[in-house]
Amino acid sequence: MNDFVDSRLKMKRRILIVDDEEINRLLLEQILKDEYEVLLASNGKEALETVEKERGRLSLILLDLLMPVMDGYEFFNSLQKDSQLSQIPVVVLTSEKEAEVKSLRMGVADFIPKPYDIPEVINARIARIIQLYENRNIITATQFDVLTELFNREYFLEYASIFDQFYPEEEKDMIAVNINRFHVINEIHGHALGDEVLCAVGKGIKGYVNDHKGLACRYSADSFYIYLPSDDHAQGLLDTLCDALKDVLEDSDSRVRIGIYKNASANSDLGKRLDFALLACNSLKGNYNEHIAFYDDQMSKREHFEEQLIHDLDRALSEKQFKIFYQPKYEITSGEPKLTSAEALIRWFHPELGMISPGKFIPLFENNGLIGKVDHYVWEEAAKSVAEWKKKYNVSIPVSVNVSRVDMLSKGLAGEIKDIVDKAGIDVSEFLPEVTESAYTEDSTNIFSIVNELREKGFRIEMDDFGTGYSSLNMLTSLPFDVLKLDMVFVRNIHTDERVRRLVEFVMDFAKYLGVTVVAEGVEYKEQYEILKELGCDIIQGYYFSKPLPAEEFEKLIEKGLKGGEKNDN
Amino acid sequence: MTIERLNELGADTKDGLARCGGMEAFYLRLVPMALEISKYNELDALLKEKKYDEAFEAAHALKGVLANLSLTPIFEPVSEITEGLRAKKELDYDALLVKMWDARNKFAEEE
Repeated sequence: MNDFVDSRLKMKRRILIVDDEEINRLLLEQILKDEYEVLLASNGKEALETVEKERGRLSLILLDLLMPVMDGYEFFNSLQKDSQLSQIPVVVLTSEKEAEVKSLRMGVADFIPKPYDIPEVINARIARIIQLYENRNIITATQFDVLTELFNREYFLEYASIFDQFYPEEEKDMIAVNINRFHVINEIHGHALGDEVLCAVGKGIKGYVNDHKGLACRYSADSFYIYLPSDDHAQGLLDTLCDALKDVLEDSDSRVRIGIYKNASANSDLGKRLDFALLACNSLKGNYNEHIAFYDDQMSKREHFEEQLIHDLDRALSEKQFKIFYQPKYEITSGEPKLTSAEALIRWFHPELGMISPGKFIPLFENNGLIGKVDHYVWEEAAKSVAEWKKKYNVSIPVSVNVSRVDMLSKGLAGEIKDIVDKAGIDVSEFLPEVTESAYTEDSTNIFSIVNELREKGFRIEMDDFGTGYSSLNMLTSLPFDVLKLDMVFVRNIHTDERVRRLVEFVMDFAKYLGVTVVAEGVEYKEQYEILKELGCDIIQGYYFSKPLPAEEFEKLIEKGLKGGEKNDN
Repeated sequence: MTIERLNELGADTKDGLARCGGMEAFYLRLVPMALEISKYNELDALLKEKKYDEAFEAAHALKGVLANLSLTPIFEPVSEITEGLRAKKELDYDALLVKMWDARNKFAEEE
């Protein structure tokens, strides 16, 4: 800093000399004037006026103690009451040991004894003090996050590391704190409210760590870390943060998620401790009922597993490790059930990990946006299969495919799907995009426009997982879709729970009113099938007819259908 | 007033000049200011009126100036007065004042 100010800015720092004796003032001015711009005051009162006038521009004050009007002690005490002015180093001019000790205890930077030392010594001493204070002030200014006044990440890591060095035996907890859907607060209510939320959380955290002898930082956006001696912190911290947020957010009780890595060993890498706390914290993502999670080894294993899946995805796609399975759908409205279409479902045959269930990689890729690549692969493969069956058996077996929420963000989605269909040489009626009910209800405007675009191109849209979202009946009447896929939760108990049966009956009636086809998923038992048939369900999908099958086996079903025997024995 | 003459009168001009960065003219400008009679009169009066607290402040200030300019013969009695007043000692301040005046006047005559 000194080098920068001296050599780059060519700036002379300003020093205020406060002494009632003109000779002393002149002497010091003479000593300092080549290096500094010198201001003079003959008592504390004058000095205070000068300091106020020069606010932010003084590098040091040389202060005599015994002066008329206002002495040096009173002046110094006044200065300390102002957070900015108290940062100016004050050097006391004195000839008494007693005063030296007293003033150092008060917090002055140093003293210069009277009679004065030779100019070189005074200059060197002053330069050193200015440098120390400037460095200190820079550190003070840069170690905190401006918004929350918590440490920033670099200083937090530094102090956490010092904490470990000083108390290596003490068990400590690393805690990650995040705010649920923080970006939505910023997007919907503006950054001013977002900042208010961060300040409130910061204030709550600061109070908590002060009470529990810990330290905390704002790591990034809405991500905070706390490091403190191990104890039962979870509920107390959560209560503190909810309380801190209650004046800022209406739903303050559901906003905070806390991940705790307990008894973090000082021997383990600090970065790892942050990762583990964050892992625990992230495990609560999307779960608004749970607010506290503790790290365990399973989390770490899962994290490594998921990392490997992410890493291996591109290779898996290029090596065709993904296989498309087809679960047949049977039309049951007229006589014998008839194979009418299929749903394309993906399986990953990993060369090292074996068969990976879609439940393990689809949610992962949905979260990080990679699902688009997977979906695209499925669409192409499914379209090729439909084309192949047409060619091979001269039948049209439409296939439904999942369209994830992430895909919906792509403006060219409808055109992209149409290209795939055209390239495979099949008709749009043979390719059925599935959109989940929850996607419709969460981002209806965007979904509406894309779904409408697809429908304009001739595609029939299936609303998947119906019953798991929260669309109202009124909303259903205006949603654009052609097929309603009843979620398996309704089917599961339809034969044992009369209320469920009635509910499904109502859905069937409502679907008829809307003029859409109903597909029931997850049908496993004959009783379920018979009730659904009786209630007027159009199409059935589930293990009762067949599990999802590899293309080759599915083709056997087609062949069987062509010969007249429909139900699969699997 | 010259450096040589100040030396003859007992001033430690080497130290005094060093504080002035070796600038003789500057040093010789400050010395008469330190001999300004009002400062001595003030101290004299306060001591005679036994206003010891105020006398201490005046003596202390004068002592500092004299020390900085190394006008040792005047500094010594003023320092003794200052320390006596600080310690609240019953000293023969009149005698010390006489010493102070003698020394001060010798220097003042050189102006």
